Amino acid sequence: MDAHFLAPQPTPLSAPFWEGTRTGELRLQQCDDCGGWRWTPQILCTHCYSPHFGWEAASGRGKIYSFTTVHRPPVPTFIAPYVVAVVELDEGPLMLTRIVDVSPETVAIDMRVKVKLTPLDETITLYPFTAD
Amino acid sequence: MNGARDIAIVGIGVTAQSRGSGRSAISLLMESIGLALDDAGLSMRDVDGYIGFTFPAGNGQGMSDGNVARQFGQPMTLVAETSGAQAVLLAGAAIRAGLAEVVVIPAGGSQSPGIEMATYTRPTYEFTEWTGSMTPAQFALIARRHMHEFGTTSEQLAAVAAAAHRHGRLNPEAVAFGRPPLDADTILAARMIADPFTQPMCSLVNDGASCIVVTSAERARDCRNAPVWLLGGAFETRSNSYFEAPSLGMMESRPRMIDGFARAGVVHDDVDIVMCYDHFAHGPIIQFETLGFCAPGEGGDYVPMAMQVDGAHPGSLDGGNLAYSHNGVPYNFKPIEIVRQFRGDTPDLCPGWREGIHTYDRNLCRKVRDPRLAIGCAPMTDGRHGFAILAKD
Ligand SMILES: [Zn+2]
Repeated sequence: MDAHFLAPQPTPLSAPFWEGTRTGELRLQQCDDCGGWRWTPQILCTHCYSPHFGWEAASGRGKIYSFTTVHRPPVPTFIAPYVVAVVELDEGPLMLTRIVDVSPETVAIDMRVKVKLTPLDETITLYPFTAD
Repeated sequence: MNGARDIAIVGIGVTAQSRGSGRSAISLLMESIGLALDDAGLSMRDVDGYIGFTFPAGNGQGMSDGNVARQFGQPMTLVAETSGAQAVLLAGAAIRAGLAEVVVIPAGGSQSPGIEMATYTRPTYEFTEWTGSMTPAQFALIARRHMHEFGTTSEQLAAVAAAAHRHGRLNPEAVAFGRPPLDADTILAARMIADPFTQPMCSLVNDGASCIVVTSAERARDCRNAPVWLLGGAFETRSNSYFEAPSLGMMESRPRMIDGFARAGVVHDDVDIVMCYDHFAHGPIIQFETLGFCAPGEGGDYVPMAMQVDGAHPGSLDGGNLAYSHNGVPYNFKPIEIVRQFRGDTPDLCPGWREGIHTYDRNLCRKVRDPRLAIGCAPMTDGRHGFAILAKD
């Protein structure tokens, strides 16, 4: 992937997510009390308000909720056209991501996709999705 | 609220909206505050409430309660951070509660010269920026999902944009005034930005500021212009725009929005103007549906005709974000255009507009005939949406 943008800056809350992508897992927070999954990272469970959670490996699979092909990028270092998508993960949460290795014309809502972890540098591994 | 006429917009101020003004946000915002207070027949000394996303303090300390008071040189009894229709509703509630008497709501900005895209078009969040989903892409995701669920078409999006551009071409104050006319076919064929949005379906990027002054009915009596009454409204936020994945979640606010009409004792059919938030071409479609002017999924068919100046619920009458102005914080323009339509203060190509004389020839005129009741909308995003109901005195 083209990669010349501001690299994601992990926070104390999100660090385990980025540690996961670096080591081959797409992790989400899962509530210890109600079992609910959530994305993006939050202090409290968005289902039951519990502060107790673990960072668990998710399936890394889902289906496309929506997508757009970007023809004019925000900065020239993004190489258009490229596909931005919202993926409805099998665990439930919606995740903003990119769709890669698929021609934009063939991308469709409800298409099955899986994560393709892609190192950006030594610390950050990105999490675009591709056809499943 | 029950539609009580106890809170009013008494002043509006609009600076020039333009590209490359060479002016700072501070000077634009201060000018807009001065214009709005002058319009109301009030002065800085009368102000005890401030609602805005930014504060143009010379000391660079920005938007904080104490800094606003320090820079105004007098105590502030209300300082809050929102804009547009939401700010008008909040000002009304605060004034009704006795927390403030005269609230100014300034908004706007300036884009530094030389940058390719304005900062507000480039979300920098940890889980957003790497995807390359600048603002048009964020809203394209919402539009695409609406097309999938309800069969809304690109042609319908283009028709909405065409209505806004048509109005903007009649508004000498619009940033896009004087540009070639745009019909739906031209808009469809224009450069694609983020599918399904072509360039004319996306907001402008420009400089400028605006300000609204809200006060009580008592204070309004002494003001220079006739009050525009705040009858009620509703707002609801559901999620963190640009950080969370965009979705159609805001449509689930429909019951809350419809309840806002009921609480104000207002019936949809009686609304003469609906100034939707038209940041992208899908905006008015989803907003008409979510506010209850039509059923979810009917907006694509209904809105392109309804929003025209002689339509059932005209909107984007100044050209909207697509053709009039998007200065970074353009939310005030929805209530402001309503005030101007009520007053007949709508610059257009009618020779007598300055005297309030309109031809109603739609090749020249963008004035709605005798509007008395109107809706001014906040952005239709998960992070911020709602509306204020305004009535002519
Ligand atoms: Zn829980």
